[in-house]
Amino acid sequence: MPASSAEVLAMPGRRSLWPPLAAFALLGLAALLLSVTLGSASLSPGDVWAVMRGEGSPLARTLILELRVPRALSAFATGGLLAMAGALMQVLLRNPLADPYVLGLSGGASVGALAAMLAGLGGAVISGSAFAGAFLSTLLVFGLAHGTGSWTPSRLLLTGVVVAAGWGAVITLMLAISPAERLPGMLYWLMGDLSYARSPWPPLALLLLICLLLAPLGRSLNVLARGPLQAAALGINVRPLEWTIYLTASVLTAMAVTTAGSIGFVGLVVPHMLRLVLGNDQRLILPACALAGGILLVLADTLARTLIAPEQLPVGVITALLGVPTFLFLLYRSR
Amino acid sequence: MTTSTPAVRPSSVSTSAGKGRFGGALGPAAFSCALLALTLSGPVAGEAHADAICAIDDHDREVCLDQPAERIAALSPGATELVYAAGAGEKVVAVVAFSDYPPEARDVPSVGSHTRMDLETLVTRTPDLVIGWVTGNPPEQLETIEALGVPVFYIEPRDFEGVSSAIERLALLAGTREEGDQVAAEFRQGMAALAERYADAEPVPVFYQVWDEPLMTVNDEHLIGKVLTLCGGINVFGELSRLVPRIGDEAVLEADPEAILAGGMGEENRDWLTHWQQYPELTAVRRDNLYFVPPSLIQRPTPRLLEGSRLFCERLDDAREQR
Repeated sequence: MPASSAEVLAMPGRRSLWPPLAAFALLGLAALLLSVTLGSASLSPGDVWAVMRGEGSPLARTLILELRVPRALSAFATGGLLAMAGALMQVLLRNPLADPYVLGLSGGASVGALAAMLAGLGGAVISGSAFAGAFLSTLLVFGLAHGTGSWTPSRLLLTGVVVAAGWGAVITLMLAISPAERLPGMLYWLMGDLSYARSPWPPLALLLLICLLLAPLGRSLNVLARGPLQAAALGINVRPLEWTIYLTASVLTAMAVTTAGSIGFVGLVVPHMLRLVLGNDQRLILPACALAGGILLVLADTLARTLIAPEQLPVGVITALLGVPTFLFLLYRSR
Repeated sequence: MTTSTPAVRPSSVSTSAGKGRFGGALGPAAFSCALLALTLSGPVAGEAHADAICAIDDHDREVCLDQPAERIAALSPGATELVYAAGAGEKVVAVVAFSDYPPEARDVPSVGSHTRMDLETLVTRTPDLVIGWVTGNPPEQLETIEALGVPVFYIEPRDFEGVSSAIERLALLAGTREEGDQVAAEFRQGMAALAERYADAEPVPVFYQVWDEPLMTVNDEHLIGKVLTLCGGINVFGELSRLVPRIGDEAVLEADPEAILAGGMGEENRDWLTHWQQYPELTAVRRDNLYFVPPSLIQRPTPRLLEGSRLFCERLDDAREQR
């Protein structure tokens, strides 16, 4: 494709960015409100409104401010992080199957978290151990893919997939030798579950920070998405940009996995869905991913904790059950 | 809703482990200063009152209540049984799935599975004491409950004395010592009587089958392993390092137990035992020492363990008679 058409494609009118983002922001607010209103304990919208005005019974305040709001915000942040990481990975690897976990990040994080659970450690240690595992995996994949030869997306992808398979084997081994009473906790972690979430502020802050940092890079990302040669021809310094994307996506994923375990599917499907609807402009797709990923996970988590309450479902199951038919429908219609 | 929140009642949990874990509560509390004060009131009021009721839990933490617990949430089927045994059954306001004994416990509202509780339902039941399970409940959720101001008393009896001690401590916290201490003493005496009776019994090499696929047994550290030892049995896999080792048929053939006891799920489970009849060279098969023992009597560290132990000992007596 000639460079000029890439240039044209990379620069749609500036005004067109805002309406979809505003719509997603409104939807996000609505999803958060819905999630705070719904729960296994029945509170009327009136109760919720009273609590928001600083009134309401102490029980309603505990339910909403201590349990539902932190969890809904954690879900929003985690979904946003995963979807953005997925969008970045798809640009970096130029492969539609790329997702935040494809490079073994969730595998490394899972091994870290499960090792902490096996050792009988709880709480913050599990999160820290998961974070360490995710970063070990990042370094491992990057170091090996770099190797002695050149650094290509397909080489990175292949290294990541093989490292991920290795982590998978370690996970299976750990599950096989773990005591029966620890198994349920480990399985829930592997399926992704927001009851692990602690304070929602670190993931939310990271999400906002990365959104702002990536905003000026949108145009370069658009060009890079069309291939490194064209990007270089258009004056983009490709190598540092690729490094930045890789490290950013790793940090995003590590934070998401640390917050709520390994929730699959969001990172793969949300960016694709948005591209089908909004077109492939990274300046729009990245912030839209942050919002739409958040919306999907907030809704999925609301279902996970209310569908068969008081029993709780792992949210990863719900994201897949919601996302698969929606995605297939969009894909079918887009032909 | 007129019930008071659990955090309103002054209560305290002092912990030697010194957990600095209020980060999770501080974030949301930024919404409201009142809540912040609520959340922190627990540790601030940490000085135990002269008349406070204190007990050490199985995490070695001292849990103090200003007055006997009135609304107890038991977060494992075993804990439910122990609270009922301690005479505080009427104070149980929340249980988890599979809390089927005593039968009254089935009518108490459930807060979901012990591996993943529905905290909203739990909070709505406004407990003033939560009985947690050290290895069974997710630590994050128990920490959240404590951050909400509800004291958590962790239990996990690992031996016979642990069962009696747990009942006594629960009875102390619930203010039902009269009944609880008696139940604890009966259990302690019953187990001591069994121990005395079987102290000099002929040893019987035993294989206890927890599950069939994968084939699982217990080691000597496990409560069931301890029951086997009590009855004069010798657990052929007692030396294995894992609490619930996964083994194969070959290991059983090599160990050649004199008796095979099987538990598993449900109250009748002969299938597991017929599996062994394909190996007539096993001593246990030759002498027909294949026994089913209802697992409900033996799988939880509760007073029912005494009845289960008696059954175990009788089966081993049967095996001795086949000699």
